[in-house]
Amino acid sequence: MALRELSSLEKYLGLKKPNKYSTQGDKKVPVLQNNNGPPLVGLGTIASHLVKEAKRPNLLGDSAESRAVVQQWLEYRVTKLDGCTKEDTKAILKDLNLYLQDKVYMAGNQFTLADTFMYFGIHPIIVDLSVQEKEQYVNVARWFDHIQRCPGVRHHLPPLAVLRNRIYTSKHH
Amino acid sequence: MTKDEVQGATEEEQAQSKKGLKKQQKEAEKAAKKAEKQSKLAADQQGSEEDDFAKDRYGVPPMIQSQQKLDRVLVRVEDLSPEKADQLIWLRARVHTSRAKGKQCFLVLRQQQFNVQALVAVGDRASKQMVKFAANITKESIVDVEASVRKVEQKIESCTQQDVELHIERIFVISQSEARLPLQLEDAVRPDGEGEEEGRATVNQDTKLDNRVIDLRTTTSQAIFRVQSGVCKLFRDTLTNKGFVEIQTPKIISAASEGGANVFTVSYFKTSAYLAQSPQLYKQMCICADFDKVFCVGPVFRAEDSNTHRHLTEFVGLDIEMAFSYHYHEVIDSITDTMVQIFKGLRDNFQTEILTVNKQYPSEPFKFLEPTLRLEYTEALAMLHQAGVEMGDEEDLSTPNEKLLGRLVKEKYDTDFYVLDKYPLAVRPFYTMPDPNNAKYSNSYDMFMRGEEILSGAQRVHDAQLLTERAMHHQIDLEKIKSYIDSFRYGAPPHGGGGIGLERVCMLYLGLHNIRQTSMFPRDPKRLTP
Repeated sequence: MALRELSSLEKYLGLKKPNKYSTQGDKKVPVLQNNNGPPLVGLGTIASHLVKEAKRPNLLGDSAESRAVVQQWLEYRVTKLDGCTKEDTKAILKDLNLYLQDKVYMAGNQFTLADTFMYFGIHPIIVDLSVQEKEQYVNVARWFDHIQRCPGVRHHLPPLAVLRNRIYTSKHH
Repeated sequence: MTKDEVQGATEEEQAQSKKGLKKQQKEAEKAAKKAEKQSKLAADQQGSEEDDFAKDRYGVPPMIQSQQKLDRVLVRVEDLSPEKADQLIWLRARVHTSRAKGKQCFLVLRQQQFNVQALVAVGDRASKQMVKFAANITKESIVDVEASVRKVEQKIESCTQQDVELHIERIFVISQSEARLPLQLEDAVRPDGEGEEEGRATVNQDTKLDNRVIDLRTTTSQAIFRVQSGVCKLFRDTLTNKGFVEIQTPKIISAASEGGANVFTVSYFKTSAYLAQSPQLYKQMCICADFDKVFCVGPVFRAEDSNTHRHLTEFVGLDIEMAFSYHYHEVIDSITDTMVQIFKGLRDNFQTEILTVNKQYPSEPFKFLEPTLRLEYTEALAMLHQAGVEMGDEEDLSTPNEKLLGRLVKEKYDTDFYVLDKYPLAVRPFYTMPDPNNAKYSNSYDMFMRGEEILSGAQRVHDAQLLTERAMHHQIDLEKIKSYIDSFRYGAPPHGGGGIGLERVCMLYLGLHNIRQTSMFPRDPKRLTP
């Protein structure tokens, strides 16, 4: 899973030569053997490296604050989202929904690596949601739909239907 | 035994007897006190009876065995209005609640879904003992009351008759209720979630149904079943006006009409018979017998072991069958118009009942279009597909998809009632007419209210040969349906129809969530009583 994400990210970044990755441990943590240095371990670490290699540093945030926010969500993705149980998903969606209430992207007004990786990570959760649940977490759904339509992001994942109209809370009063 | 031991034993005995003695003494004292109390009470009562000037104005009269024809007019609670102010009236009602407060006792008297506040106060009409008697009448007892109607300054918010109260002059208990009720009426009508902070109880569905007689007294139940009666009346009136004939069909039948899996078998003398799953075959035979347009209201049985919010094993079916000229849409138009007349009739004549139900079970008002919206199955699939639902072209709608489609239709067309036309032939019974333009589909339709199916219908095959082919395709034993097929051999007009579930219509019109609420004595796989 993580390896497919990395190769999708490479394509998105426009890196010509695909890297070769290996995995390590039970949780299959990705490892990138670097030609001129020690190996890089972990999804967030490798992703940040790829972004720098593609000379797109603004994807990691263009200010100290946004850099911190991006790092925070990369962390969240790996520690909270990956391997969360069915019971956790409700709480995660609720929190994210609240967080995204006044944001277009994870880090505010600009697209960053956090959006890509949160999108990859939350896709398996969204795929199982009913139409009603998607409407319940309407901010998550809006952000998700926006990200999956951003050129070049989606790659290996199938597009999911997100309704643009509310159909459960009636406005006909 | 040594001397010591003997002594020890006697000492023990003594100690024991000492304890016993004390106990006896205490008991004797208690008994004496009790006797004293009782004699005092008796004396009190005697005394009170002696000086009770109002003792003819209350009490428990002998059981009514039709000893006399009283020339007394009993006023209905709903008719108590300010126009009746200062009149002395008689009334029969239930004691809904009673609350004694010093020299006064407030009663709420209830009659069906209406109630009024009444008051017994010590004065020249009522004695202290009478007030006490009134306060001790058990809840749900039936009383006859003579009272004067008085206007009130401030509206009584808790009653339906808000502008008047009754000043009781006489009160007699006609039928006494047992003191302990299996459920409290106030608890049974409390909306979900309300009063949770105060720790008030709500009554769960099973307790309500176990004690249905009491549950049916609640304002909500009274309103629901008045609406249900209204649906039946509107259904009959509308169809009769359209020239339909009401028919009665047998419920004990020799062969299952729609596959044998979900029928009840009953022993019938030396053989066995089935309980009808629908009057399908009989209403069609009536069409072949030149009745042209028929309908039928009666019980329908389904032996499906499904314990859901919308399945019963016995329900009331409202069935329609009619011959048409050239196109089965004539039938759809006729049925949808009937439904629209029912919706309009309920909206115009049952507003009070609808509001009463809404108090406990809030829901949005039911919306419909005129003429009724008709969608084709393929259009519906496209709508579902757009919402991200993956399903095959000839697949039947699942319940969740049915509900989702209902929401999508409501969003797009703003209607709670619509027709879904042209179902895939494969998912319909053998007597369904195939679509002339596409053999995969059929001339069949379902109707939906708030996204749930209430009617299933179709154009029927009226040609004996095609009917035989279709039956064989469905692997039905031709021998068992011989008389049915034979009825089409002697000239049969093209016809179609459908069957509606009365309980479902009521449930969905009122926006309720469980069909047991709209069935007076529901029958499901787990419930056979009351």
